[in-house]
Amino acid sequence: MKSMKRLFLIAWSLALIAGCATTQGATTKESASAPKSSDPRTLAFPPLEFQIPKSERVQLKNGMVVYLLQDHELPIVNLTAYLNAGSIYDPPGKVGLASLTGAALRTGGTQATAPDQMDRELEFMASSLESSINTDHANVSLSTLTKNLDRTLALFAELMTKPAFDPARVELVRLHAIEGIRRQNDDPKGIASRELNRAIYPGHPMGRTPTLASVRSITRDDLIAFQQRYFYPANTTLAVSGDFDRDKLLKTLESLFGGWPNRTPSFPAVPDPKDDGSAAVLHVQKEVNQSVIRMGHLGIDKNNPDLYAIKVMDFILGGGFTSRLTQEIRSNQGLAYNVDSYFETGRRFKGPFIAETETKSETTVKATTLLRSIIAGMTLAEVSQEELKLAKDSIINSFIFGFARSDAVVNQQARLEFYGYPAGYLENFRDNIARVTRGDVLRVARKYLHPDAMKLVVVGDAKKFDQPLSTFGSVREITLDNVK
Amino acid sequence: MKILPRFIVVLALSLSAATAFGQGLADKVQEYTLKNGMKLLMVPRHTSPTVAAWIRFKVGSVDERSDERGLAHLLEHMLFKGTKTLGTRDFAAEKPLLDQIEATAQQLMAEQLKRDQADGKEVARLTKELDRLEKDAEKYVVKEEFADLYSRNGGSGYNAFTSKDGTTYIINLPSNKMELWAAIESDRMQNAVLREFYTEMKVVKEERRRSYDAEPEGKLWETFIAGAFNAHPNGQPTIGWMSDIENLTRTKAERFLHKYYAPNNAIMAIVGDIDPQRTIALVENYFGAIPAGTPVPPIAVEEPPQAGEKRTEVVGDAEPELMIGFHKPTLPAPDDYVFDVIDMLLTSGRTSRLYKKLVQEKQLATSVSSFSAPGSRYPNLFIINASPRAPHTVSEVESAIYEELERLKKEPMTAKELQQILNQLEFEESRQMSSNGGLARNLTEYEAVAGSWRYLIEHRQKVALITAADVMRVAKQYFTRENRNVGFITKK
Repeated sequence: MKSMKRLFLIAWSLALIAGCATTQGATTKESASAPKSSDPRTLAFPPLEFQIPKSERVQLKNGMVVYLLQDHELPIVNLTAYLNAGSIYDPPGKVGLASLTGAALRTGGTQATAPDQMDRELEFMASSLESSINTDHANVSLSTLTKNLDRTLALFAELMTKPAFDPARVELVRLHAIEGIRRQNDDPKGIASRELNRAIYPGHPMGRTPTLASVRSITRDDLIAFQQRYFYPANTTLAVSGDFDRDKLLKTLESLFGGWPNRTPSFPAVPDPKDDGSAAVLHVQKEVNQSVIRMGHLGIDKNNPDLYAIKVMDFILGGGFTSRLTQEIRSNQGLAYNVDSYFETGRRFKGPFIAETETKSETTVKATTLLRSIIAGMTLAEVSQEELKLAKDSIINSFIFGFARSDAVVNQQARLEFYGYPAGYLENFRDNIARVTRGDVLRVARKYLHPDAMKLVVVGDAKKFDQPLSTFGSVREITLDNVK
Repeated sequence: MKILPRFIVVLALSLSAATAFGQGLADKVQEYTLKNGMKLLMVPRHTSPTVAAWIRFKVGSVDERSDERGLAHLLEHMLFKGTKTLGTRDFAAEKPLLDQIEATAQQLMAEQLKRDQADGKEVARLTKELDRLEKDAEKYVVKEEFADLYSRNGGSGYNAFTSKDGTTYIINLPSNKMELWAAIESDRMQNAVLREFYTEMKVVKEERRRSYDAEPEGKLWETFIAGAFNAHPNGQPTIGWMSDIENLTRTKAERFLHKYYAPNNAIMAIVGDIDPQRTIALVENYFGAIPAGTPVPPIAVEEPPQAGEKRTEVVGDAEPELMIGFHKPTLPAPDDYVFDVIDMLLTSGRTSRLYKKLVQEKQLATSVSSFSAPGSRYPNLFIINASPRAPHTVSEVESAIYEELERLKKEPMTAKELQQILNQLEFEESRQMSSNGGLARNLTEYEAVAGSWRYLIEHRQKVALITAADVMRVAKQYFTRENRNVGFITKK
């Protein structure tokens, strides 16, 4: 048996002293004559005191916000930059601009370092440096061994401040985007998600996806302009964790980004999505032996005070093994392997409520009916005391898992500021969940769940359905653009 | 700094970091073997008050008989259904019903197996009877009690997975809840009851449809692997073919459970905010008296060498996809380390050979990857996977790949290329230590498959000794037409 480092032993003893007396079942060795059995239902445990780990917030002279959390366990530094930019800002007709810009940023090299040179240097150091622009945020992130931090950070700064968008690399990104669109109907689950999103956000940037035409219309100049419009210090938040020296890092960042000019913020006005409150039944014919079923409607954003009651309701209705959906549709009836539902908490706009499952063709209508009726059931009566307690205990007791890694801690804190969460959100989270009552769950179910106003999308082989989809209302057939 | 280990550093490449890592992990991992053969690996990590607890049984789909494919995986599902005390209101009353369900299900299957000759009325009667019995038995079930107990106590990531080589059960818990884990898992190991068997079978059938039938890429994978192995069970789909799943019974599952799920066949990894001495005491208390079980024999089947190329086509409603697999030995054979080098040379990053040639220069494919599969206990395949970029064809991509493989046979790898690989392995060694679950996974996997978790420490040192001549020799020996399996999707 290896000897333990003294430090660990001491730390552990201190942490446990308060609690060891209360553990049911001895922690001292018993004779192993019979296997120990304690009833897991009634075990008692020592208390766990948990303080939310804090990272430090610093604002650079140029307005860039930096969150820092040192962690010297491993010789690695992780950094992520968040910028307010996204596909929600794509001009109409150029849907895909943000996404292409994000992809081309990294691969296109910089004005000081040609793309091949950048690839070679980074990969020889085993550093990763990647960029992407998503719906409502841009990410540029790096991960490096401590010994390579300086050079990797320098390349990161070059990418942020003077990317080159090498023409050949830009064209390749476009070609890959085109290929991606050609493949977007290969997986029935991808089709269903896309079409549901389009139905929930009709005519809104959140519901759009790039097309061959829109991708072909985007020029290299468009990419350059997009990057210049949104990449500047005051629009950038960094999250850094790992094996770095605080003062040295801040000094380096000031030096690398000191000359990066700020810009006047210029964000396109994006309207709030509107819910027309209508039901819809959409079908995509595909010859598969299992239907993909997705249904949903507009939901809530993070500023909604009913957020906590909704999280509790989500857990009971569709969140995991113990949920109503999983127990009935999967476990009791064997109709599906995957079934769940959730409110996606919107950050800049309202997110959707989504319920989903997949079932063999012959039980398509049965499973869809059951899904809807279980959702509707949440609006008809209060959940039981047991369900409420399980949900609250589960959410509260697993809270610590949001902080199991230093990179997760610092990124979460950066994002809270980035998206404008209220102060104390994390600190008050568990108490806010603890306050939720059965009455609250019913109230929010009635207010935010609309089982009769769902957009329903089914991708599957109508010839094999147990009943026609028109059971649910008038069906709109979606023909996929089969791209050539 | 501790003294250097016994394996001597011969090359001038930067190996000091390798030995430093080796020492770090070697320091941190504590081993303990119970008298019943169960192996416990522990790593204290106090980053957060959480613990990842993994239990891996050294049995996977490769241990199945060919008429019981899918059994290991279905059994894994069944081990979430409870025990004689958990998951039931009254096992004494429930058990006779479960036995009746089993008898009725077997009769039903026997009748259905007569296919055209089956007596329709009898099938209908038995189906109705089975349904009635299942509903009666349902009254005794306390739904999802394991999941309930873990969840309310803050458990996260409760799950399991079955591979060719092993079956692993995982949970992450707050560090003050380890006794809950010991109580549940020791009960599960001794007293599992496979209730709701025939409903769960339906769930697995849906899982099959979702992963392999409804998605051409999944279908390609399954068909390709099955085609690559004429004899060895490495070719058998872990989830089972549909008819396999439909003919599994609770009796077969119980036999498999008792044969393989015993302490001598189990490896535990507990990583996180623990005190190893207390953990050992806990594990001894709860698992120490469980009888060892019988040793599991290795698989006797040997895959005969291929006599010629095999090609597998899947016609599907999807864009083309290509897979090429070459038979190779598995770890810890010396050539397997050479394949690790070849793998990284070919597809690790934008500077890798296949990425540069296929994706950037010739622009024939949008992505290319390589890996060893399926499983690591027995000889496996080195696989290259690529997505052709329209209008380029599978055939063009295939030719381009072979050109690069020919280069490997003739052009020596450079010292810089090997150093880049070592640098990337160095980074990966640290990165994999940054999560409790990731570390637990690697410890259980390599302890089970390589015979010792120390494989993780020794790996980079072994790779550092590989020469350009080794790469050329291995490429010449294995990248031959006769040894080749090619699978592809043709769009319908």
